[in-house]
Amino acid sequence: MSIVKKYKAEVIAIDSFIDGVYTLTLAPEKGRFRYSPGQFLHLAIDTEYDGASQWPNSRCFSLQTSPDETYAKITYAVNGEFTHQMENAIKPGSEVWVKLPYGELFDQEHSRSHTVFISGGTGITPYLSLFTDSSFAEYQKPVLYAGFRSRIFNLYSNELRRAATINRNLVENYIYQDTDGILNIDDIFAENGVYASYFISGPPVMIKSFKKALILKGVDEKNILTDDWE
Amino acid sequence: MQDHKQLRREIIEKTKEYYQARFAHSVFEEGRSKVNYAGRVFDEQEIVNAVEASLDFWLTEGRFSEEFAEKIADFLGVDNVLLTNSGSSANLLAFSALTSEKLGDKRLKPGDEVISVAAGFPATVTPIIQYGLVPVFVDVDINTYNIDIEQAEKAITSKTRCIFIAHTLGNPFNLDAIMELANKHNLWVIEDNCDAFGSKYKGKYTGTFGHLSTISFYPAHHITTGEGGAIITNNPLLAQLVRAFRDWGRDCYCMGGENNTCGKRFSQQFGNLPFGYDHKYVYSEIGFNLKMTDIQAAIGVAQMDKLELFCEKRKENFKKHYAIFSKYPQFFSLPTATEGSDPAWFAFIVTVKENTRFNRDEITRHLNSKLIETRNLFAGNMTKQPAFVDKNWRIADNLNVTDNIMNNTFFLGTYPGLTDEMFTYEERVLDEYIAGL
Repeated sequence: MSIVKKYKAEVIAIDSFIDGVYTLTLAPEKGRFRYSPGQFLHLAIDTEYDGASQWPNSRCFSLQTSPDETYAKITYAVNGEFTHQMENAIKPGSEVWVKLPYGELFDQEHSRSHTVFISGGTGITPYLSLFTDSSFAEYQKPVLYAGFRSRIFNLYSNELRRAATINRNLVENYIYQDTDGILNIDDIFAENGVYASYFISGPPVMIKSFKKALILKGVDEKNILTDDWE
Repeated sequence: MQDHKQLRREIIEKTKEYYQARFAHSVFEEGRSKVNYAGRVFDEQEIVNAVEASLDFWLTEGRFSEEFAEKIADFLGVDNVLLTNSGSSANLLAFSALTSEKLGDKRLKPGDEVISVAAGFPATVTPIIQYGLVPVFVDVDINTYNIDIEQAEKAITSKTRCIFIAHTLGNPFNLDAIMELANKHNLWVIEDNCDAFGSKYKGKYTGTFGHLSTISFYPAHHITTGEGGAIITNNPLLAQLVRAFRDWGRDCYCMGGENNTCGKRFSQQFGNLPFGYDHKYVYSEIGFNLKMTDIQAAIGVAQMDKLELFCEKRKENFKKHYAIFSKYPQFFSLPTATEGSDPAWFAFIVTVKENTRFNRDEITRHLNSKLIETRNLFAGNMTKQPAFVDKNWRIADNLNVTDNIMNNTFFLGTYPGLTDEMFTYEERVLDEYIAGL
């Protein structure tokens, strides 16, 4: 994990294919962002902040780009006061302050021989930073189970296409709630068994229930790695 | 009421004036001014930064701490820099981290052996004893004053778990050999880099080879924050452990004044605590509180901008001492840089040869009487120090060279505050002493 640094960054693009869900592309004013796949940043939108005074109120967002990229992408859904402020304040060309890297999702010990990645909604984003990184090639049997409300919520086709070229063994499973129902942890376990490493990222309720279910099925707790924010 | 921003600007301007009036001009007078072995070297920026931090009145780790750690990380090209309140604390924290149960079978336990040297500073050894492990003292090489590699290899037993040694007075130890030994025997390596910040080995900075390394910012060192130190590691788990031990043993890594940087402050399970217990008050190690203040870090920020220059000056000063003392090869053994290294010398170390017409104590007394400061190589032979005599340690083979150092070795400063006038004076004092024998 690299040292935590503050970066002044320009919002070079804002994509929104669904109402209330935005993907920001951030370019650092100087240098490059330094982080590892699976890490997250804190973003502040305080216009008074000058980089020298104490760090203002901020919120964390998963980095969804490979650390090799010259820019970083994050996706957020408007669902609280801070994200409402973001929606109103951040425009293309806006300057924001970010602080990174935080988190240790893929730095934790885990199996690369059989690895299951389970995500709900935007919970897929931390996986994308790994999937689009050259280190993803080291995974021998990566299996993705990504749940979305519907097809239009799967905004990540570019990244996932790239992932498939980096690691041809990647098995992709998409579960769309409007047509397929919800992710089923029993089915996921049945297909992957007790010895795989399981990553779970998404809504806290989903993480909690899936983790509990896997433990009950005999998966060692050390092999269940979660990206669970409040 | 006056505008606080305007007042701040005025205070800063006055601070610069104060620096000019108080510190900017000093004159060396032979026989009246001291030739110190070390000292803080600074300009107005250090004082301005200290005043800025005081006016922030944040006091504990804050914006300057972040900036200072970033600058060190950028300089060394490392991932993690944890600031602390001294180099000795840095050594304690680096060692403590290796005792964590989170390291499983690799953790250091009481009774394990740690390879070190007795010819050095106690803070490299005391953590080993404080945690109930056994220092195994290996003799040093008289030319480099660093660990004797052949003896080090012989000292390794089934109980050996770690190598914890310093780059003596800025001269890197043989890092290739030590890292090879560590890899071969699955040992941890802590580089005590307190005296060597800016030294290089085969083109790479010392302090970036071992699993952990430490820096000191005491005024005698390459840069200063008054008291202060840092721990360096590229291992994310070790960084987390060092931070935990430094910050009361707590699991949370938020800086002072920050909350919930992990994003899961109230939603985790720890030990036997109720689910969701506030992560800020979860303690996963038996820790200390050894953090640096923001005022210290502010001084460090300004000092970092001078580090490269300071290192170059130290190298030049080493050469000047060398030119003076090398006139008398019959009396003095002079130091040799380790092969492949480029030391940013902490000091110029000299050993008085045996059977000369004077001994170490006589010449150092003379130099000090002429206001030229000298120091012994710290503890000399650590095993003979009162605090260590009855402790549980082991001598690997013999400490013959270490004893020679204890009896016959001293050092002079190389710090950037030394001037040509001081060297001219030093040369004359030495020439006159030798001529008067």
